[in-house]
Amino acid sequence: MGTPTPEVSALPFPASRGPSRPGGLDTELTSPVPGVYVLVVGGEVDTLTAPALGEALGALLEAEPTDAVAAVDLAGVGFLASSGLAVLIRAAHRAEAQGRALHLLGGSRAVTRPLEVTGSDQLFTLLPGLDELLARVDGDRPAGRVRRPD
Amino acid sequence: MGIEGPSGSVTKGRRRVSEVDPVGAGDGPGTVETPGSVVEVRTSASASLIPTIRAVASDLAARADFDLDAISDLRMAVDEACATLVDVAVPGSSLRCTFDVREELIRVHAEVDTGDAGTPVSTDTFGWRVLQTLADEVELEANGIGTVGIRLHKRADAAPR
Amino acid sequence: MSAADSEYGHLTPLLAEYAGLDKDDPRREALRDRLVTGFLPIAQHIARRFAHRGEPLDDLVQVATVGLINAVDRYSPDKGTDFFSFAVPTISGEVRRHFRDQGWSMRVPRRLKDMHVSINGAVSDLSQRLGRAPRPSEIAEQLGVPVAEVLEGLEASEAYRSSSLDEMLSSEQGSATVGELVGAADAELDRVDHRQALRPVLGELAERERTIVMLRFFGNMTQTQIAEQVGISQMHVSRLLAQTLDRLRSRLDPDTRTG
Repeated sequence: MGTPTPEVSALPFPASRGPSRPGGLDTELTSPVPGVYVLVVGGEVDTLTAPALGEALGALLEAEPTDAVAAVDLAGVGFLASSGLAVLIRAAHRAEAQGRALHLLGGSRAVTRPLEVTGSDQLFTLLPGLDELLARVDGDRPAGRVRRPD
Repeated sequence: MGIEGPSGSVTKGRRRVSEVDPVGAGDGPGTVETPGSVVEVRTSASASLIPTIRAVASDLAARADFDLDAISDLRMAVDEACATLVDVAVPGSSLRCTFDVREELIRVHAEVDTGDAGTPVSTDTFGWRVLQTLADEVELEANGIGTVGIRLHKRADAAPR
Repeated sequence: MSAADSEYGHLTPLLAEYAGLDKDDPRREALRDRLVTGFLPIAQHIARRFAHRGEPLDDLVQVATVGLINAVDRYSPDKGTDFFSFAVPTISGEVRRHFRDQGWSMRVPRRLKDMHVSINGAVSDLSQRLGRAPRPSEIAEQLGVPVAEVLEGLEASEAYRSSSLDEMLSSEQGSATVGELVGAADAELDRVDHRQALRPVLGELAERERTIVMLRFFGNMTQTQIAEQVGISQMHVSRLLAQTLDRLRSRLDPDTRTG
């Protein structure tokens, strides 16, 4: 074993805790495996909450290293307005400028429909969930750190 | 009914109020069976009350047996229209939103007071383009008498995009 | 040598051995049990970190144990990461997911959760068949339930994600009976509350049966959810649970119930 760490708290989770606003949006930046950051979002993204999502996306894309795999887990999002789409699109452009893709995980119809209707789904890598993301990370990096579940 | 807000109220014609309960508490038949029902929601012109209005829109569309994409589209379109209007409303005024549930169609009219020196609504925005894509028809009503409104139609079957 | 090495060092060769075993090697089950038991303190440690959030510690330990089992199953030593770096996020992820699901289960009655799962299935079937999104009436027809129940289910799944509808939903008193989908075996299993005592018995079950029991007991999933996860019908899950229960019951005489 390389460098076992007796203190569990020293291990890489959770990366940070995002802002939690009344009015229905929770965000939490997590790192399920080394080299992968997932922003977990729950609630409704509209004109009121879009700025909070924007901040959280900023933290996701600024987390070191900036070539890590970046994903937004939208499984808990029940509504996505154009204001929310706009911050996601900005984040996608920013990720692209960093030379990486922004992955969107597990959106329900409330998320996928706005993405499709506006054609902005093309800007993201859409995946059903975390397992698919980890499988993909494993496939992309031969020396990766995660193994695809059987 | 649970419509919140200092000036929130729901009024409607030709149907019992319990039939528009957004949670489907289940004492009614569960579907809108009389085309021509009108539901009016009035709230403070505040962004914090828009979730309530879009919930009503979504519920009416579901009860009118809209397909799931059309329900989703209407909810988003109503949110978009209301957010646009709340932006230009006179502080402390009200947002009036009327849903006219027809056969296979819901017509929505939303309106706010803008005062004499009303701020114009810009249609050159990402939000307005999204609204145009979501609704089957959308029209800005700026008649210059201190109010501005948005009228939109949504059909029960979402057009393939 | 660190504390972790001295405490868990003897398990390292076992991890390598386990990862190298064939899927249907008869030694797999016993080896997995040894690994899970050996690393259990880690799961317990992580569970305690979440204990202040209002969930019973026992439940959290069980959820963390499921995460540990996943970690043991998925870990591959030749990837160059030590087991701890891999297991800790896996376990804490499982506990986090539990909190997310728990938020849903505390707010929404179980029959609505089952309805939600049924609706999701019907929606994907119908979307494929119709080439467009279905209407509530079409979902109702497919499931053989009143439209009102579908509307209620749709509202519930929205409310799950939307805090704005929470209050509206909490005043709701439904009358639907979709929860009856959950077979009789569930009620039986619920009565077997000595989960700790079950642990050694689980080792005797075949892989799939064990997965099903784990999901039911430790993952707290409904039969419908398990059916989805394992890829068999809900009826099949119900039968397997009933059979498994019989086998477990014959093993669980009162003297062994120390949990």
